[in-house]
Amino acid sequence: MSDTPHELQESRILRTELLWAFGVGIFVAASLSMIVFTALTIKINPPSNVERIDPKTLHLSGEFAEQNLGTTVFGDGTVIVRAIATQFMFVPQCIAVPANRRVTLRFASPDVLHGLLITGTNVNTMVVPGFVAQVHTEFTRTGDLLMPCHEFCGQGHSEMWATVQVLPADQFKPGPDGRVSCAQR
Amino acid sequence: MQSDQSSAADSKLEVADEVDEAALASVMRTVPLGAAVLAGTMVALLVLGYLLIYTLVFIPRGTIG
Repeated sequence: MSDTPHELQESRILRTELLWAFGVGIFVAASLSMIVFTALTIKINPPSNVERIDPKTLHLSGEFAEQNLGTTVFGDGTVIVRAIATQFMFVPQCIAVPANRRVTLRFASPDVLHGLLITGTNVNTMVVPGFVAQVHTEFTRTGDLLMPCHEFCGQGHSEMWATVQVLPADQFKPGPDGRVSCAQR
Repeated sequence: MQSDQSSAADSKLEVADEVDEAALASVMRTVPLGAAVLAGTMVALLVLGYLLIYTLVFIPRGTIG
């Protein structure tokens, strides 16, 4: 028994849909492969640090006490930046970082939800009270970069921003205590 | 409906044509191809845009993790 025109049409539609699904499958597989490839070769990963901190006491002692904020270079060469995002400022207001060197940025909030991005880079994270937001990155261009809060945090949200000063290696000089501040201009 | 009012069904322009099965089958041989080409072109443009942004903007902005 030969197929009716209706059955032919049905089989044609089914073939088209299968072909389309195959194409979509190829695209999804290619996108995922690209993400895995960049993660393995050039270490591009979604920041995923789950670390709790008590927002009520974080400024009193420990890692986010005032004397620990800013940029610190440790003996093994690790560069760690610690900053607090609070209504309506970042502490410190200016962060000095070295160019072309791996930097770990750590942020905490004592009050409400904040967020930040650093212009011209892929640094972009939320700062959730109760958690430490951590991002590893490497700044490739020197100069001053703007770091605004990008989660609405209250009436002064639009005034909440800081500067990230990316310094060339010869100008990034830690003091005896390993601390680095923004160059005075 | 009152008799002094005309019905849309009185006008040939307003009434659907009778469907000729053979003609429908011949149209359906080409219409899905056109739809697939149109959808394929649009999706290809979207994918191209994604790839350009990924390679020319995202990757040069440096590592993250």
